[in-house]
Amino acid sequence: MKIAYYLSSGIKQGLSRFKLAVYLWLIILGFSVVAIAPVSSIIKNNLGNFYPGRPPLLPFELHLVEVFMANQNIFQPYFSLVLTIILVFGLLTVFLNAGVFGRMTDREKKINFRDFLNDGCRYFWQFFLTVLISLPFFVLLLGLYRLLGTPVKAWTAEATTEWPFVIGSNLRMIIFILLWTIFKMLFDLVRIIIVSESKKLLPSLGSALRFLKNHFFKLWWLDLIIGFGFVIVSAIFLMAGRFLSTSHLAGVLVIIILSQAYLLFRLFTRLVFIGVETSYYSENRGAQ
Amino acid sequence: MKEKNLKKVFSISGLVFFLIITVRLFSMDNERPVKYDLKVELLPENQALQAQETIVWTNQSHDYVQDIQFHLYWNAFKNELSTVAKESRMEKVFKRYRVKKDEWGWIKITSLTTAEGQDLMPAASFMSPDEPANPDDQTVLRVVLPRPVAPGQSIALNLEFQAKVPRNGLRAGYYKDGFFISQWFPKPGVYEEGRGWNCHQYHLNSEFFADFADFRVKITVPEKFVVGACGEEVEKTVDSNTGKATYTYVQQNIHDFAWTASPRFIKIERLFKADEEVTAEEYRQVADLLDLTPEEIKLPDVRMVLLIEKQHQSQIERHLKALKAALKYYGLWFGPYPYRTITMVDPPFRTGSGGMEYPTLFTAGTSVLLDKKVLSPEGVIIHEFGHNYWYGMVANNEFEEAWLDEGINTYSTGKVSAAAYGPGKLSMRLNGLPLTWFIRMPAIYDWQLDRLLSPSVAKLDPIVTPSWKFNNSASYSLNVYQRASTGLYTLERLLGEKTMARIMRTFQMSYRFQHPKTEDFIKVANEISGKNLNWFFEQFFFSSQDFDYGIASVDTGEKPTKFQGIFDDLAIKNFNKPKPEPGKKKTKIYETTITLRRYGEAIIGPEEKLKLRVEFENGQVETREWDGQGRWARFTFEKPCRVKTAVLDPDSIWLVDSNLSNNSYSSCGAKNKILSASSSLLWLMQNFLLTVSGLW
Repeated sequence: MKIAYYLSSGIKQGLSRFKLAVYLWLIILGFSVVAIAPVSSIIKNNLGNFYPGRPPLLPFELHLVEVFMANQNIFQPYFSLVLTIILVFGLLTVFLNAGVFGRMTDREKKINFRDFLNDGCRYFWQFFLTVLISLPFFVLLLGLYRLLGTPVKAWTAEATTEWPFVIGSNLRMIIFILLWTIFKMLFDLVRIIIVSESKKLLPSLGSALRFLKNHFFKLWWLDLIIGFGFVIVSAIFLMAGRFLSTSHLAGVLVIIILSQAYLLFRLFTRLVFIGVETSYYSENRGAQ
Repeated sequence: MKEKNLKKVFSISGLVFFLIITVRLFSMDNERPVKYDLKVELLPENQALQAQETIVWTNQSHDYVQDIQFHLYWNAFKNELSTVAKESRMEKVFKRYRVKKDEWGWIKITSLTTAEGQDLMPAASFMSPDEPANPDDQTVLRVVLPRPVAPGQSIALNLEFQAKVPRNGLRAGYYKDGFFISQWFPKPGVYEEGRGWNCHQYHLNSEFFADFADFRVKITVPEKFVVGACGEEVEKTVDSNTGKATYTYVQQNIHDFAWTASPRFIKIERLFKADEEVTAEEYRQVADLLDLTPEEIKLPDVRMVLLIEKQHQSQIERHLKALKAALKYYGLWFGPYPYRTITMVDPPFRTGSGGMEYPTLFTAGTSVLLDKKVLSPEGVIIHEFGHNYWYGMVANNEFEEAWLDEGINTYSTGKVSAAAYGPGKLSMRLNGLPLTWFIRMPAIYDWQLDRLLSPSVAKLDPIVTPSWKFNNSASYSLNVYQRASTGLYTLERLLGEKTMARIMRTFQMSYRFQHPKTEDFIKVANEISGKNLNWFFEQFFFSSQDFDYGIASVDTGEKPTKFQGIFDDLAIKNFNKPKPEPGKKKTKIYETTITLRRYGEAIIGPEEKLKLRVEFENGQVETREWDGQGRWARFTFEKPCRVKTAVLDPDSIWLVDSNLSNNSYSSCGAKNKILSASSSLLWLMQNFLLTVSGLW
């Protein structure tokens, strides 16, 4: 199996279409700014002229909690706002996914926003149906998770020390993540087929399932390698964040830049997933 | 009496009071009202106890006592109609207080006779003393005596009882072959002269109250079990025919008796050697603080017994270090630990018995994976040991005034933890893994967290409220622990560390082996401080009001030099006005107006003042005072520069202030911190949207 080939092909596709990650990043940034604006404004109003004292009486984080506690009354309407934003964003996501898959599977490497929008419009309906049809599969995933988690749960229920609980609960979390990657891989493939072969949803789903019948472990293995790489980079990012200080403006700016770079990395990883899956599918679809 | 004289009288009487108390010798031989002789056998296969009990109760009041009332706590776990079950349902702690068929717990007296053999079972009936009445509750049993017990006379009663250990009875329980047995035997309430028996039914949000007693307890268990109990183990016999071991424990002057048995314990015994743990310099410093001599605060050696689960054996030293710190600082500050042993139990797995106190024994609680900077096992150990002082020896009524032990002990725990360890990180876990391994968390002191949490319930209930009458469990716990502790930290800052240390020690030493009430604490605080602090307790302990003073606004700007209008004395003014020296720049004058507000209902005492410290751009500092009685006050300053910072309560005395963030003003603000906080929130939201969208 040409692991390196598919991975490098996916990374190349991701890099050549990095603009897509930037588009998504900008859109998410816009939604997030709207979502946190009320909270941010509360912080500014309450602590904009705050003087922590020398030495400070409390760590700044506790003042933040204090401000949130003093303004609890706004949180109920605020959560309604966030929920609305999530729903609108969820709908938009269908459109964005259509744009991303459209551009990622296109031979044309040059990315522009107009083509991205065109693809978003073109495949929106099929992708929306994909979301609907994925729901019973998600229920299946939950059922499978419950089934696989049962022996682990039984083991931890009978434990006489805490270790089986620690191991068991983390094992169940890993089981869920693994099942989720399978679910994701299946519907990525469905979307790739919809876009690359201009098929309707159900034939695409059939093709994807048939393809996975022969290539399940190979493709899953590739996905897991990318996922593992992502986890490693995320851990490094989290560790790096522990050593950066926020007491100086320069430190704060470095943290902001790093945080946003991490988000771009997350989006880039997504492009690599699609790139690897597209590349694997196009190389092997004849050999089903 | 004039105020000055009043203060003088207070200080002199305080000193006398303090001296009397500190020289008072406490004897363990004082007559206790109750004597217990208990024989109990654990039947692990049925999770049951089979026991015999002899109680000798002495009437120390001047009343003729007609009856005796017993707590039968385990009946709270007998069915869904008990008060605990009903309150749990109301609190939504449990949808229904329902457990598996064989997991209910109960206690049943099978025989109750006088020493002469008279059967008292027909004279026994369940009662429900607290409102709302619950006739289905069986946690209090009243027995009418054949004849009243005269003042000074005693009555001996012989009981036989069976009990089924509840699977998880709030503080007692079992899991497989691990048992923690507490509140397990029929225990008389406290007889109060002129008021009768104080014997409340078991409530969801309450702990306990009992009289001081001498215990002799024989515990029989299968030989493989390791046993720990209150008091001192004086004998162990093994019956090779039955494969059972019997342990005898003895302890005087305690008011409860708990024990534990599990084959998975490791038992460690060490000696707390006071001379090795406390240096001469530390004795001298504390003696200075308390106005005592180092000899008067000398600590005794104490035998430490640790029962720890095998899975936690790597933490043995960590446990013992915390216990030593507790023995040291509680002993130095509040008085020597008077018993010869202290038993620390890492509770049997899944028995739900962690973090609980009993006289001379307490349960800690830890996890297999720990972050060294999270002081969660240490905090629990120090707190639960500390209950030997607050609840154990100074034995307040936890049903009626829980703050007297929980609040004072939370305050004490914070002080001991800070002295022994400094600030610690908050414990956050996911699937048993400490999140602090991955996420940066600030290190904080206990008092910082206490004061942060306490305002959330300030308007719900007064701290001094009977435990079962709080609005809900959160209000109960946050009021009696965190809010009370924050009140005491405020009192310390108001009176000074030295005065507060003397108050705490005096309260401990004067009410050791007694049942003090809130008014007793206030009395000690007034006498030692030489102040009338009634207002303080009225505002913060007996009322449910928010305390929040703050800076409402700071306006600073150049003072106008030209005014429009008609001025009658204009000519004179112009005549007197000094002419500016040629070449010298005209000095600008800035007018700063600071408005302070009282946002909450609670108010500072009539003799107290709130300080306002203002620093100007030229480094000049001015301090003003406000009596805080009105709703607002305004202060104006004229300076050649603008204001740089303004801080209300710059000495941070009023930790009870629910919002410290509005107590200060800075012309620059905490821009970096705000930027950092906002960007973190933004980043979290971005990640959240990214994750839920499935775009990655």
